[in-house]
Amino acid sequence: MATAPQLPTTRPLWARSPFYFNSTAHLLRIGRGKANNLQELLEALRLCPDSSIFRHTFQTLEEHHFIKEGFSNDFSHWAFAACNEVELAERLAIIDVREFTSIATLRDRLVLIIEEYLQKNPRAATRTAMEPFYLMDSDLVVVPTPYVARNLEEFADGLHKISIHSIYYHFIDARLRLKLNNNDFSIWLEKELDLAQAADRINRIDIYTSTLEGVRQNILKIIEIELATPDSAGPD
Amino acid sequence: MKDKNPDRKTAVEEKNAEKNSKARDPKQQQEPATPAGQAAPQELAVPAAPSGTRERRFRQTDLPARVIERRKHPRISMEQPLPPAPPCLDDYVSIIGQPELDEIRFLARRLRGKTVKMVNSTAVGGGVAEILNRLIPLMNELEVPTRWDVITGGNDFYEVTKGFHNALHGGEYNLTQQIKDIFMSYSEQTRQRMEFTEDLFIIHDPQPVGLVHSKSQERGKWIWRCHMDLSNAHQGVWDFLKPMIEQYDAAVFSAPAFACQLPIPQYLFYPSIDPLSEKNRELPEEYINKVCDDFGIDRSRPVITQISRFDRLKDPVGVIEAYKLVKKYVDCQLVLAGGGATDDPEGAVVLQEVIEAAGDDPDVIILNLPPWSALEINALQRASTVIVQKSLKEGFGLTVTEGLWKEKPVVAGAVGGIPMQIIHKLTGVLVHSVEGCAYQIRYLLTHPEFATQLGKNGKEHAKENFLITVNLKRWLVLFQILLGMAKPNATI
Repeated sequence: MATAPQLPTTRPLWARSPFYFNSTAHLLRIGRGKANNLQELLEALRLCPDSSIFRHTFQTLEEHHFIKEGFSNDFSHWAFAACNEVELAERLAIIDVREFTSIATLRDRLVLIIEEYLQKNPRAATRTAMEPFYLMDSDLVVVPTPYVARNLEEFADGLHKISIHSIYYHFIDARLRLKLNNNDFSIWLEKELDLAQAADRINRIDIYTSTLEGVRQNILKIIEIELATPDSAGPD
Repeated sequence: MKDKNPDRKTAVEEKNAEKNSKARDPKQQQEPATPAGQAAPQELAVPAAPSGTRERRFRQTDLPARVIERRKHPRISMEQPLPPAPPCLDDYVSIIGQPELDEIRFLARRLRGKTVKMVNSTAVGGGVAEILNRLIPLMNELEVPTRWDVITGGNDFYEVTKGFHNALHGGEYNLTQQIKDIFMSYSEQTRQRMEFTEDLFIIHDPQPVGLVHSKSQERGKWIWRCHMDLSNAHQGVWDFLKPMIEQYDAAVFSAPAFACQLPIPQYLFYPSIDPLSEKNRELPEEYINKVCDDFGIDRSRPVITQISRFDRLKDPVGVIEAYKLVKKYVDCQLVLAGGGATDDPEGAVVLQEVIEAAGDDPDVIILNLPPWSALEINALQRASTVIVQKSLKEGFGLTVTEGLWKEKPVVAGAVGGIPMQIIHKLTGVLVHSVEGCAYQIRYLLTHPEFATQLGKNGKEHAKENFLITVNLKRWLVLFQILLGMAKPNATI
């Protein structure tokens, strides 16, 4: 019995809902907290507003987007540069903010790491740092952009044109907004264009060993591969 | 007269050249962004060499006689050029990119028609006037009409405000009732003279702080922009000013360490540089070579540079000591360039100390430059292999920002606002001693790849945080938040 030839799966060329590229602008607010040693940092971390945790983890990643190595969050950097506590700095540096969909769980992780370290190294708790740590807050506002994508080609075009703040907003900040271990780009590509594999590959891009510009280029490479396959090509 | 404007190559540079030529020609000169009712800056006196400064004597070297002559008698322009017209927003596209510019325009569009008044205490001279001269034209171009007013007062008022300035920096001060009365009386006079019909008021520094008594419940948001470091403020003066500051809707400081406890929201706006200003814009290589030639700098050997006025807090003698430690291992030159030795008696004393510390080493090049040497300073920074700012005490340290912007590895003292700019070993190097400074310079001179990476990161850091366009964006966001047009932190 002859088998019918396999037809390529047809993916939608047009999204039912377009992708609206947004961006962000932020202001730094000077908080009331200040730590002169690790014990004070620990106390401040327990009490500070969520926006402070956000500022020194998620947001600092955007601000230092151009650094590929040696910088992941402000707490780790301070432990290294001002407190000379290299082991603690390493343990804080490995925190990947993308694993957290709420600030509360991220705060708990930070507090736990410092608590454990100070239990093992009690003298480090009150050793005065070379510079104090000032707890800041961040006021972040969303800025719409003129770029809209209704298909993969337009999506690639938009990605070329948006600022790195927009990449940050959709790729990193989205996790807190969506409360999901995912990002806006991947969700749209999977839901609207049935590109589940591409969406997954995008979601696995390592932001800690790449700049945000590098993230853009990596996403574009994945999209270009999809565009090169016949069933994903954009409309004529 | 020395040509202050090197040849231009790109379209943007040609556009600037056109503006510059207008600025140089009084017939075509555009109206500068001076505050309402204020005259444009007048000619400044040509600075004289500090009295008592003798010609340096150099030990015998194999440097060409022409170079030695330039080092003894550098060709320094003594004529003040007219300032070029300020750039427009499109001029920044090649620097910050179209998407960033679009975002600024979008933020401004929401504010279109909202009016802003900026008030400070001087129209010319000083960092605040310099910032406002560049910022206000951009805000007006964005159709956020912005007016600049300057408070006035008699000598007694300026004496009081100068005393306040020193006291807020931590100096001793005897605050009497008479002093308070003088301050409040002039504040009241200025209040009567000015109209307060705008939507937003930005009051710079303590001198005009009393204008907030004109705040109406119905209209207008008031922001106090403090450019000073209040960390050691004189308690009496602070207690006098604080009740007025508390009436503002927000305060803006240049560093978290500079702020004081206040019950109003406090924001951090880093000071900024203008990448298109004479001090920071791109320069043709031929012009950089010409400046080096004028000052006797040998571009075939490494150049270590510190740009700062001759002030002990900038530790120029410490820089010479560090250079001497480096020189044992690497054949290099040190350039110490700055001003302040002509009009400031203490500056002249420090300059003399610097000359003595340099001794007969012809590779220590000391330049006492007049205040209009922005292009020359720009060229010196661009000709440098390593930039140093070994301050013992510092405000924000904009010379560090300038070095970062020019993609140079910067070695700087970990004081004031410098640690906000230099992330140790990522965007520059922080040091705490002469020896540390010497070691880091040596390391950078012998590890050019690391130096290049620091320079690249430093430029990105400056671009992301310390450019005038970033501050323009910050103001627009703050206006939206205060006017209730944007709801921050919807995500968190």
